[in-house]
Amino acid sequence: MKQGLVAASIALASVVVTYSGTSSAEEPQKGGTLRILGNAEVDRFDTVPPATADVTNFHRATVRQLISFAASIDAAEQVKPAGDLAEAVPVPTDNGLTYTFKLRQGADWNAPGGARQITSEDLERGFKRMCNPAIASPHITYFEDLVVGLSEYCAGFAKVEPKVEAMKAYVEGNDISGIETPSPDTVVFKLKHAANDFLYMLSLPTAAPAPIEVLAYLPDSPEYRSNFIASGPYTVESYVPDSLLKLSRNPSWKPESDPLRKAYVDEIELVSGMQADAAMQQVEAGDADMLYDLLVPPATAQRLVAAGDEKTVAIATGRSRFVWMNTVSGNNGGALKNLKIRQALSYAMDKAAIVQQLGGPAFAKPLNGIFPLGVVGNHDFDLYPTTDAKGDPEKAKALLAEAGYPDGLKLKMPFRNSGSDPALAQTIQASLKKAGFDVELTPVPPADFYSRLITNFENAQNGVWDIVAAGWTPDWPGGAARSIFQPQYTYNGTHGTFNFSDFNSQRANAIADKASVTTDPDEAAKLWGEVDEAVMADAPTVPLVSVNTIVYHGEAVQNFLPYAAGGQGDWTNVWLSR
Amino acid sequence: MSQSSSPDAAASPAAIVQRGSFELTLRRFAADKAGMLALGFIVLLVAFALGAGLIETWTGHSPVDQFRDTGLTPTGLPVGPGAEFLFGTDQLGRDVLVRLAYGARTSLVIGLVASLCASCIGITIGLIAGYVGGWTDVILGRAMDLVMSIPVLLCTLALVSVFGPSIMLSVAVIVFFSWTTIGRVIRGQVLSLREREFVQASRSLGAGPLSIMVVDILPNLTVPIIVYTTMMIPAGIVFEATLSFLGLGIVPPAPSWGGMLAEAAANSIYLVAWWLILIPGSVLLFTTLAFNILGDALRDALDPASRRRSRHNKSKGRQRKRGKEGRS
Repeated sequence: MKQGLVAASIALASVVVTYSGTSSAEEPQKGGTLRILGNAEVDRFDTVPPATADVTNFHRATVRQLISFAASIDAAEQVKPAGDLAEAVPVPTDNGLTYTFKLRQGADWNAPGGARQITSEDLERGFKRMCNPAIASPHITYFEDLVVGLSEYCAGFAKVEPKVEAMKAYVEGNDISGIETPSPDTVVFKLKHAANDFLYMLSLPTAAPAPIEVLAYLPDSPEYRSNFIASGPYTVESYVPDSLLKLSRNPSWKPESDPLRKAYVDEIELVSGMQADAAMQQVEAGDADMLYDLLVPPATAQRLVAAGDEKTVAIATGRSRFVWMNTVSGNNGGALKNLKIRQALSYAMDKAAIVQQLGGPAFAKPLNGIFPLGVVGNHDFDLYPTTDAKGDPEKAKALLAEAGYPDGLKLKMPFRNSGSDPALAQTIQASLKKAGFDVELTPVPPADFYSRLITNFENAQNGVWDIVAAGWTPDWPGGAARSIFQPQYTYNGTHGTFNFSDFNSQRANAIADKASVTTDPDEAAKLWGEVDEAVMADAPTVPLVSVNTIVYHGEAVQNFLPYAAGGQGDWTNVWLSR
Repeated sequence: MSQSSSPDAAASPAAIVQRGSFELTLRRFAADKAGMLALGFIVLLVAFALGAGLIETWTGHSPVDQFRDTGLTPTGLPVGPGAEFLFGTDQLGRDVLVRLAYGARTSLVIGLVASLCASCIGITIGLIAGYVGGWTDVILGRAMDLVMSIPVLLCTLALVSVFGPSIMLSVAVIVFFSWTTIGRVIRGQVLSLREREFVQASRSLGAGPLSIMVVDILPNLTVPIIVYTTMMIPAGIVFEATLSFLGLGIVPPAPSWGGMLAEAAANSIYLVAWWLILIPGSVLLFTTLAFNILGDALRDALDPASRRRSRHNKSKGRQRKRGKEGRS
C-alpha cells in the first residue's frame, strides 16, 4: 500500500516500530464516517470522573483542554505538553509556584444560545467540580496536594448535600484561593510546592473547563448527557446506551482556534458490545476503521507485525512490567532481605525471553529501571548487565553462594491467571531455574490477584508470596515519574497500597524532591534518572520490560497518528480514503 | 478348561464344545468391532503414556524445557509440526508431543485413580444402603441426593480458591462428585438381590450380614461394577481437563491436556497455531470416545441379556406404537 515510512522506522529501537498509513503524495480528504468498534461503551461523558485512557479519546474529540499533546509518530513529541486552550505552554514563575495561562481566543463552547468563548471562569469551574460530592474525580488527590486552597475548598464541598441546587450554590458561592482569574482570558494557578509535572496533570480530562450550564445537572447524569456541551471539533449527535454513540461536527468549533486537531472526518460512530476477535476481523476486512477499548489479540498482533503489516502502530504508553520481591517475610530465613540475593535474581532474569514471549521487539523492550519508555527519567543504564539481556545464571549462582545459599532457593510465586500472565510466569520460572531458584507457581483468579493477594500487606508479612510479577501504567503520559516513584517506591511509615514491601530509599527520596521542583525539564529528566539508579541499587524489584501497545487501523484510515494520552490513533487527525 | 476345549473343536466339527462363561464373554467382546478398536486405542494410549520418558529421551526435549531458539520464532510465535518438533511447539516453545505424552499420564492416572476410588465408595455405600435398608437407607439415599444436587463447578471453584489447585484436590473433587451414580445403581441391585433364595439360604446357614454382603451379593454385582467404573474413567478425564482448562487443575508448568487447551485459547494463540487446539483436542475426544465405547462393549459382552432385553424392548415399543396408530 503506497509508500510508507517503514524502512526508516525499522531501525528505530524505541517506540514506533512499524508505521505507515499516511502518504505524502495524497492530499488529506475531508468527510466520511469513522467507524470505531469497542467492547464497553464510553462510560463517562462528563470530564470529571473518567479514569480510563480509552475515554480520553472521546474527550479529545469533544472537549478542549488547557494543555494537551500533539498527535505524532515521534515518541518525544507525543508526550511533550502543547498548548490547547492555552496560547502557549507557560514557564512557571515564583520558583515554580505560579503558572499563568493566556487563553486562546476563538475557542468556543457549543452553548445552547450559540457559540460562546471559553473563559478563565470556566477553567476554575472545572477544578471546582472535581471534588463534587456526587462523583468525585479519581485524580483529585494529585491536585489537592498541589493547588493552594483546593483541599480546603473540597473539605467544604464534602459537607454539601449531593443535590443539584446545593452543589450549584456551593460552586457559585465559593472560590479556590489558588486559582485566580484576573481577566476572562487569563488564569493563574498557585501551587503549594513546585511540581514540574503539573503541566502534564492539566492534560487529564478531569482538569478540563466546564461551562456554567452544567451546574444545572448532576455530574454525568442522563440530563448532563442529553445536554452535552462540546468545545472540541465534535459533539454528541445521538447515543443509544451500550450499543451506539454517534458524534457529528460541532458547529461552534473553529479550525483556526485549534492547533492540535484537524478534524477531517465528518462523523464518528462508536459501536460497543464487540468481542476482540470479531472486531479485529472487521477492521482487517475494512468494514470498520479502528478499535476503541479492545486490544489487538496478541497472537494476531504478532502475526501482523511478523508479516510487516503497515497498519500496525506501536505506542509506548508508559506501561512497565516487573517482578516485585518480598523483603518483609521470614521465608527462607528472610533470604530476600539480603541485597545479594535480590541482585542474584536481577542477574538471573532472562529479559530477552520475556520480550520474545510478549511478541518480540515491537511489543516490548528490556527495562532496567523503574521508569519505562515514554516516561521522563527513562534512560539507558543497567546496574545488573548481562549479555543481550539474556540473564547470567553463573553470576547469579555465585551471588547466591556468597549469600550462603549454594544449593539455591525455593520461591513462591502466585500469578494472575489470565491473558499473557501464565506464559510470563512460566518464562520467569524457567529463566530463574537456570540460576538455582526453584520457583513454585500458583495460579490466582484475576479478580483476586491485586485486590486480595498482593495489595494485602498481611500476605507479604506472612510470606504468602516471595516474588510476584506486576505491572504499572502511570496516570498521565510523559512527566509521570512522580506518579510511578511516589506510590511504589516511597514509604513514610504508613504502608502504601502499591509499595508491596515498604521499600524506602533516603537517597532516592532526596533526589526525587529536587527532581519534582526543578523548572528545567532537562534537569528534571536527569534527576529522575538518578532517582531510578538509586532505587535500582537496592534492587527492590527486577524490572522486566517496557510494554508497547500495538494498535491497528483499517485500510481506509490515513494519517493515523498516536495520541499518547488515549493510547490510540487520534480520531481528530485521521482522514479516510475509501 | 476353555483352552483344552478348542483343539477338540478343531478335530471334530460335530462335537459340541463346552465353553466357560469367561470364554463366552471374550468371544462376544471380540466380535464387537467398535469395542476392539476402542480397546486398541486405549492400549496404544497407555503405551504412549508409559513411554513418555522414552519419548523424552528420543526427542531430547523435557516437557517443561522452553526451546526459545528453535521452538519459537523471534517474535515468540510457536513453530508448527516439523522434523524437530513432530507435533509443533506451544506458546512457550515446549514440545507438544512430549507434553501430550506426559499429559496422558496425568489424565489416565487421574481418570483411573478417581474412578476406582469413586466406585469403591459408591459400592460400599450402595451395598450398605440396599442391604440394611430402613433408616440407614433413608440417610444414605438422601446423602446421595444431596451430593447430586450440588452445583459441581461452583463448588469446585470455591474449594480451589480456598485450598489452591493441586492434583490431590482434583482427584478428591472428581471422586466426591462421581460416586453417587454407581452408588444408586448398586443400591437398586442389592434391594432385589437380598430377597433372592441364595441370600436366604446363606442367612439360614448362619452367615452374618457382612459375610452375606461380601461373599454372596458382591460377586453378583461384577457386571454393573465393571461397566460403570469403565464409564467413569472418561468422565474423570474430561472433568480434570475442565478443571485444568479453567486454571484450577494441574499447576503449570506440569502438562495436562486441559491445561494445554487452555493455553491455546489464551491470547487467541490458536488463531496462528492450529496444532495447539487440534492435537490435544482430538486426543482428548478420542480417549473419552474409546472409553465410552469400551464400556458399552463390556456391558454387551458381560451381560448379553441386557443387549437382548434392550433390543426386545425396543421392538416391543415399536409394535405398541404401531398398534396404537392402527387403532386410531
